[in-house]
Formats: sequence, C-alpha cells, structure tokens
Amino acid sequence: MEINAGICGNFPRPPELRKALDELSSGKIDEKELNRVFKLSMRKIVELQEENGLNPVTSGLLLWHDPLRPFAESFSGVQLGGLLRFFDNNFYYRRPIITGPIKREKPITVEEVGELSQIAKTQVKAVLPGPYTFLKLSENKFYQSEDQLIDDLIEALAAEIEDLNGLADIIQVDEPSLVDPELSLEERRKGVEVVKELIGKLRVPSDRLIVATYFNLDPDSYSILLDLKTGLHLDLCSSRDKAEEALREYGFKGSILSLGIVDSRSIFPETPAEMAGKTRKILEKTSAEKVMISTSSWLDYLPFNEAVEKLRILGRTLREVASS
Amino acid sequence: MSFRLPNKLVTTIVGSYPYFPEALKAFQLRKRRVRGSEYEELVKTAIRKTVEDYLSAGVDIVSDGEQRREDMAVFFAEELKGFEISEPVRIFDNVYYRKPVIVDDIEWTHEIVVEDWRYASSISRGRPVKVTLTGPYTMYSWSFDKHYGNMRNAILDLARALAREVEALVNAGAKYVQVDEPALSTRVEKEDVKLAGEALEIMVGKLSNVKRIMHVCYGKIERLFPEVLDYPIDQLDLETKNSEYRLLKLLREYSFDKELALGVVDVHSSRIETIEEIVDGIRKGLEIIPPDRLYVKPDCGLKRLKRETALAKLRNMVKAAEKAREELA
Repeated sequence: MEINAGICGNFPRPPELRKALDELSSGKIDEKELNRVFKLSMRKIVELQEENGLNPVTSGLLLWHDPLRPFAESFSGVQLGGLLRFFDNNFYYRRPIITGPIKREKPITVEEVGELSQIAKTQVKAVLPGPYTFLKLSENKFYQSEDQLIDDLIEALAAEIEDLNGLADIIQVDEPSLVDPELSLEERRKGVEVVKELIGKLRVPSDRLIVATYFNLDPDSYSILLDLKTGLHLDLCSSRDKAEEALREYGFKGSILSLGIVDSRSIFPETPAEMAGKTRKILEKTSAEKVMISTSSWLDYLPFNEAVEKLRILGRTLREVASS
Repeated sequence: MSFRLPNKLVTTIVGSYPYFPEALKAFQLRKRRVRGSEYEELVKTAIRKTVEDYLSAGVDIVSDGEQRREDMAVFFAEELKGFEISEPVRIFDNVYYRKPVIVDDIEWTHEIVVEDWRYASSISRGRPVKVTLTGPYTMYSWSFDKHYGNMRNAILDLARALAREVEALVNAGAKYVQVDEPALSTRVEKEDVKLAGEALEIMVGKLSNVKRIMHVCYGKIERLFPEVLDYPIDQLDLETKNSEYRLLKLLREYSFDKELALGVVDVHSSRIETIEEIVDGIRKGLEIIPPDRLYVKPDCGLKRLKRETALAKLRNMVKAAEKAREELA
C-alpha cells in the first residue's frame, strides 16, 4: 500500500492576494499586477505543501471565489445568481442560473493546472466540481428535460477533464451532494448514476481519479458511493461516529482512497499521534492500493495561519504512519 | 411615563435595527480599542435614534436596536472571558470576517448590555424594552473551539456565563429576555436540540416574572420539534413571513400552547408589505394562536435593511395589528 498526504481542495488566500483582489476592484491595480501577485501566491502555497512533505499538491485554487465559480462564469448558458449558503457552512456561493444550453467554450482551469505542474516538484492534483453537485446547487431556467441538462453538463465537464488528463497526476471531481443529508437517499442514488455516466466518458484510469465527498458520511450514503468503483475522498470529521461506522461496515476495496482525517472546519489542536492512530485503524478495514491522508474538505473555512498549521499536521501524521 | 400594552396582538421587534451613522463610527473606534466617552456617546445617540423610530412607528415592545453590536457573535465573544478573535475567514468572494475563537474557560466578568437596556428604557416612554442575547448554541456554532474540544462542556459554560448577564439584566429591571439561537435552524442533530434546551434552562429556567423568549429563524426549524415544546421559555419568536407561514401547520399539529411571536414582514426584502398583506398574515396566526398569546413582529432583526425601509415596514406592521385588533373587537 502506498501512503501519501495532500490537501483535499483549496487553500485560503494569503493576505497579499486578498489585498490585491480588493485593489483590483477599486481600480488601484490592473489585471497584470493581480496576476503577478497571484502567481507568487500560488508558488508560496505549493512550496508550503511541499515543505511539509505533501504529495500530490494542488494549486490552492486561489482565485476561485467559490467551488463552482470558474465553471459557472465560463460555461455558456450559465449566469451568476445570488449568494446561497454552501451546505452547512458560514460560507456562501453564487448560485449558477442556467439560462441556455450549457457548453464549455474554452478550457477553464487548464492553464492554472499547467502552471502548477511546471512549478511543483511533486505530483499535482486538479480539482473540479462534479455534475451532480453543480446541478443541485444551480437553478434551471432553461431545460425542459433534466436528463438533457445532465448530458450537457457531463459533456462540458468531461471536455475539461480530458484536457487536464495530460497535466495532472490526480483528477478530483468534487461531489458533496452525493452525501448531502438534506437530499433523500433516492436523490443521492440518482447522483451516483450521474457521476457514473461522467466516469464512463473519461479516459482517466481509476487509480488517478477521485470522487470527493465531504461535510457528511453515513453508512447509507457510503454504501451507494461504492457503486462508483473509483477512487474516493471521504470526510471523516463531520458526522461524529457515522463515518467510521460506514467504513467499518463496508470497508474499501479500490485503487485510491483519500481519508479526510484532519478537520478542515475546526482549529481544535490535533496531534499527529492521534491522527496517525485514527488512520491506522481505518487502514485495517481497507485494501486500497493508494491511500492519501487528507483534510476533511477544502481549507476555505479556516484563517490562513490555521490552514498552514493543518499542512504541518498532515505532514507529521504521514511521517508517523509511514514510520510504523 | 405610563404605557399599557394592548391586551392582544402586541407589536414588537426581534432586536437589531439598521445602524445609524453614529453606530458605524462607534464600530470604528471599537476596532481601535477606543472605548471612552466619545464612544459611549455615539452608541447612546444611535440607541436614542432607534428608540425614537420605534416610538414613531408605534411599536409596543422595543429594543436598543443592537446598535453597539456589529456582529451578534463577535460582540459577546469580545466581552466574555475565554475568547479571542481569529484572523480573517472567507464568507464569500473576497469578503472575510473574523470569527470568535474559544481559547480558555468561558466566564462572565462584567455587565455587557445592561447599560444599553437601561438607557433604552429611560427614553422609551414607558414601553417595555426587550433585551436580546446571542444564545450559547449559536455562540458555539459560530466560533472556533481551541480549548474545550467538547461541544457540550463549552455550551454549558457559555450558558453559565450568559446566565450571569441575564441575572444582571433582571436585577436592573428587565422583564423581556430573548435568547437568539439562529444556528439551531441549521443542520442540527437531536442531541443538539436537547443540549440547547439544557443551556436555556441554565440561562433562564429559574426566572419568574420575566418573559423568556427564544428567537430562531431561516432553515429547518421543524427539527426543533417536539423538544422545543419543553424548552423553559414563554414565547417562541419565529421567522414565518419569509417561509410563507408553513410553520403554523406544525404548531397546530403539536397543539402549541406557548406565546408565539409571528414574523409578518420579510427582512430580506426591501419591498414594503401592505397593511392588508400583513393583516392576512396575522389572521393566519390567529387560526392557531389566540390573540392574547400572539405577538406581531418582523421575521428577524432589521439591520440589513435601509432605515427608511425598516421604518416603513414597522409603520405598516403597527397599523396592521391595529386593524386586526379592530376586526377582533
């Protein structure tokens, strides 16, 4: 079994990038200057991950205003709506409003991932929203048939993944809606079918593809996730004992398992020894080829300094697990 | 000055009111940790203007408009012992906020809102002033916990600390104490609902001759049932207009027998509801709750509205309550 560590998704913006974005809005700096600060920030985030022994690394998704935004802004047929709460977080995303046929007119995150692969000394992970979560968080004002909407969404996302395939070592499709307790099990099951349809269109091998779920994990959701027969990222911090119960009951047999064991929504001190103990206990129940020790979800819910601390915990947990 | 509350369909507010320029100036001073007489005068002026607006609209039970509080959780965290405030955390786009961080045992060390209550009461021309406190469950949910690592212990300590503030308020003469628990309508488990009830018991359970109110809004309020029926409160204050009064059906099913503060104007919309529209809402409430137990008020705090809008909504709300009273007579 190969064990690594890496963050689930984004990293909070460093203060200098926050400031630059504000200055761009108020006209104090231009796009070129913002881009300069952005690239320096991305390099800094990549270095922070590498210094802590993480592999793969992500770009930090530093310019993404929310997990759907680059896609909602770029797809034709989609406009931006009002702010809505992102699951149970005190974080808000702009709801995509579907007003025409969804089409990917141009690559969306490919340049950023290309840049990442150039600066990273390790493997790199690309992250993008999955079709079911995009669907559930959007408002459809155009399609008569939801099936047609789903087909178009899958086609648009598959085209992006196809372009990322040569650049990223791991591709992660984020699908928190697949475990959303606000949805019925029937709806979650339908979501799994939608994601299966996407996976069927991809040429990414199963040991390089992760479907990421977070903010919940319960035995019922987990049992249907296993139907995806692909790599999974699981949030082991948000559901009290239910997540461990799910793994205990169903185990994991697959190529890649990302264990969201370091809590990305809490700053209560976590010790590497405790995290390593938890990891080892879970590993007894799995026969994954690759295991990744990870944060439970994106790091957006933390201040920058606390997110840096999470990188340290991840790195030290990995060393502790590897040495035993 | 004497003032008699109507014996039915009392009008009130939830707590916050649009910030007056003086309040915004006071926030700036507070950020720089300047809290001298200039700061206090600014807060007082903002409270006075709030109360004047309530009086001009004709609201029966008023508040200080929470003019001292820029954020309902951060404010109490700054005043209680055991908290620090975090570095910025993103809330949306490139907009960030600072979140309370629990770093030590939480304790009450000094009066927090007593003076504001006292001042508002001194200028309310006899109208009762309701005091609002951010509840323990919400304080915990909206904070980072770096100290307890155990929600139950932290929430019960918060309740004990806030109970000291309640005690000080009651000693000063407060008769209407409202605990705001908006976080209770998010993704809560049954054990959380019970825990919030235990916390309320600590805060207000033993009070007598004081109206004990809990406000909750926006989300899955259904999940609080049936436990909320056993909460040690006299009045449940709900957002109902925005959710099209769907909760009333639930109250009927449970034969709800506490007082109900019914949200009849939407605080997320700048549209001024017509008097007739508000009367309609009150009639819906009256189908379930008798008029002596039904209070009429906005869905939630008014602070996000423009002052003119908030005032216009309150004016129509008061007129609607008068009209509904006439219908009942």
